[in-house]
Amino acid sequence: MDRWRRPGLARGVLGGVAGFAVGALPIVAAAQLGADIKPGHGLALGYIGAQVGWLLGLGALRFWTAWALGRAADPVDQAAAHGRAGDWTRYFRFTTDHKVIGLQYLITSFVLFLTAGLLAMVLRLELAQPGRLMDGDTYNTVMSTHGIVMIVVALIAIVGGLGNYFVPLMIGARDMAFPKVNALSYWLLPPALLLIVANPLLGGFDTGWTAYPPLSQQANLGQQAFILTFITLGVSSIISAVNFLVTVARMRAPGMSLTRMPIFVWALTVTTSIVLVATSVVAAGMTMLLFDRLLGTAFFRPSAGGDPILFQHLFWFYSHPAVYVMAVPAFGAVLEVVPVFARKPLFAYRLAVLSFIGIGVLSFMVWAHHMFVSGMADYFHIPIMITTELISVPTGIVFLSALGTIWLGRIRFATPMLWVFGFLWNFVIGGITGVFLADVPTDLALSDTYFVVAHFHYTIVGGMVYGLFAGTYYWFPKITGRLMDERLGRAHFWWFTLAFNATFLPMFWLGLQGMRRRVADYPADLADVNLWTSVASSTIALSTLVFLVNAIRSWARGPKASANPWRAHTLEWQVASPPPVENFEHLPTVTAGPYEYGVSASGPVIRPGGATGH
Amino acid sequence: MTARRDLAVAVAIWAVLSAIGVVVVLGTQILPVIASREAEVVNGAFVMLTVASVPILMLVVVPSAYSAIRFRASDDDETDGPPIHGHRAFEAGWVVVSLVLVIGLAAFGTIGLLEIRGGPDADLEVRAESTQWAWEFAYPDLGVRSKELVLPVDRRVRITIVSDDVLHSFYVPAFGIKQDAVPGRVTYLHVTPTVTGTYGAQCAELCGLGHTKMVAGVAVLELSEFEAWVAEQQPQQP
Repeated sequence: MDRWRRPGLARGVLGGVAGFAVGALPIVAAAQLGADIKPGHGLALGYIGAQVGWLLGLGALRFWTAWALGRAADPVDQAAAHGRAGDWTRYFRFTTDHKVIGLQYLITSFVLFLTAGLLAMVLRLELAQPGRLMDGDTYNTVMSTHGIVMIVVALIAIVGGLGNYFVPLMIGARDMAFPKVNALSYWLLPPALLLIVANPLLGGFDTGWTAYPPLSQQANLGQQAFILTFITLGVSSIISAVNFLVTVARMRAPGMSLTRMPIFVWALTVTTSIVLVATSVVAAGMTMLLFDRLLGTAFFRPSAGGDPILFQHLFWFYSHPAVYVMAVPAFGAVLEVVPVFARKPLFAYRLAVLSFIGIGVLSFMVWAHHMFVSGMADYFHIPIMITTELISVPTGIVFLSALGTIWLGRIRFATPMLWVFGFLWNFVIGGITGVFLADVPTDLALSDTYFVVAHFHYTIVGGMVYGLFAGTYYWFPKITGRLMDERLGRAHFWWFTLAFNATFLPMFWLGLQGMRRRVADYPADLADVNLWTSVASSTIALSTLVFLVNAIRSWARGPKASANPWRAHTLEWQVASPPPVENFEHLPTVTAGPYEYGVSASGPVIRPGGATGH
Repeated sequence: MTARRDLAVAVAIWAVLSAIGVVVVLGTQILPVIASREAEVVNGAFVMLTVASVPILMLVVVPSAYSAIRFRASDDDETDGPPIHGHRAFEAGWVVVSLVLVIGLAAFGTIGLLEIRGGPDADLEVRAESTQWAWEFAYPDLGVRSKELVLPVDRRVRITIVSDDVLHSFYVPAFGIKQDAVPGRVTYLHVTPTVTGTYGAQCAELCGLGHTKMVAGVAVLELSEFEAWVAEQQPQQP
């Protein structure tokens, strides 16, 4: 019975259910009195009530409510919320330690990754042969859910997972600037994620993750689950972004100047700046769409003077920069790993930092390349084509930096370094094929075909997922205090890389043959290649099991990791593995750059206590 | 001295592989069917971009593969590499070359855009009407309606595209182009079919339950055959 008396998961669930009832009941009552009520109204208000009830029950708001009621903060409760080392329950409650939150994000992402991956298997089952196995609504719902769940994974895995865990450690801070806000950003997600995964129970939705009206205005209640999830994710991202930016601006250890900041921290800084600026635009667009569905507004309803193209502008004004929200942290992770295993300073560090900033700025000027066939004015194609191709210049610098670092290096092929090479080979294919979609003449043929599907899987998997695995294999010993099995790691890399290419390379060809994306059927002459692709895709899923087995086994009984098994120079490796609760007993003073390989034997000298930098 | 030799060898491998790649690309047909003047422009853009892609791909593949083999250290080697933090001239050269390349590609793209979207008035106007989930084609000047798109060869056609429900997209792979249908707006594309035959039109913008099946036939006929078809379709005068 004790669990009901204290804030926690059980009370959170109870609060969520109660909140839903409180939110939805007035709607039911209004319907009884003859108001024109749709189930969507009940779902919207019920969801808001459920979120509030969930957060209250969880204890996520208790510090703020105490403050509002004029009570003094309870230091014992605050310390308890931060958690103690070795207490596994801290992973299942509102805990403010950034390392706990990072792991919560990371594990959540991986569960979602497996879920959406299984949905992809269902899609490929339907597409293995011409003809139909499932009805159109089912296929569209599976396809749309696969899309949005994978988007969530790509958005939160590195930023929320590795970013939360390592940014404070890498800049020499004890935590994020706003630990409670940080925990809140995570705990907003479970109700939203539950809602999107359960959308088939609400009739599903058939618009893909892009939710273009007018189709999304007539779609089932599952569409609304999508909108509510999207907006919630937006709120979570925005507060998390503010937190990262303030942390990097204000919490750096003495001597950790901007030019000594690890490249991964720079990547997160640029990424969260993009998130902060762009996310509210799409949240506004989604809210307008929700109002069109529920309140009879006509922002995007052409029959009442609205404009469906406006939605596309609002959507892509966020959703293209979002591609860089996925990719730039991966660039950061890759460039973080390269110098350690090439034993050389990061090549052209300053130019790489500038390229991240350049990507961040340009990412806001390219959105309309998703709309070359949408019917927008022809002249607008030209500046968008130029800016889109221009962004390949800063992106190319990422390659320059990685290649310049391995050139003449002393390369060790530990598993993280394999994923770096995988990133280079796969992401370059994504980048080059992107130029075909940026170029208007070729895009007129390729838009909305399987070429696009192949392209964005090469950018998101080739970029983001390879960066995620490079970072995960690299930092696993730090997080768990255990080494991963190198043989299984290599097996995972080679298997995944072959399976991924076997699946997605043929899709470029399918697109050139005119096979449209998001269809459940295709002409018989494309049958052989589609069957091959379906079989190959199932081997991607199997390769992921190798990672799962390796991670679980190593975590449970892998060999103990020393503080710095890779002999890296950045700060996170200068503390124990796993790091103590408050990271640093004494705040470090940083006296050297993060990648001085070949210059000094060890990392930046940490002088504990009041010593000053120079 | 040896560092300079490594560079020379890698550059030589890059040049050879790039040359082979370009030859292979030039011998490959990229678009499977090219049945319109616009598809010819699009295919030209494909060839240009693919040729440009080969040396860029090799610029990543060759140095990384070369380094992986040549600069691999043994597992018990604990030495660091040379402390090279960058190379001003090389960095500047990389940026300038990629900028020039991008400007060139954008210029070619703009020319292609003008060729496809600009140009003279059309000889024939057709209205592609989309609805969930079917196409219908109207010939306003000829008083004909049809479920199949029938066009005369070598005539410039303006296809205006409308929708009365959700977004659709008019896409004929053999013509190499597509254009969305937007309710509340009239969009258009120009196409000049160059090869007689039968092709397929399909909806390329997800439009719900029947999206997969939203296809229509396309026939490109000799002018005389087209006129005969029109006469056959026109309602008989009483």
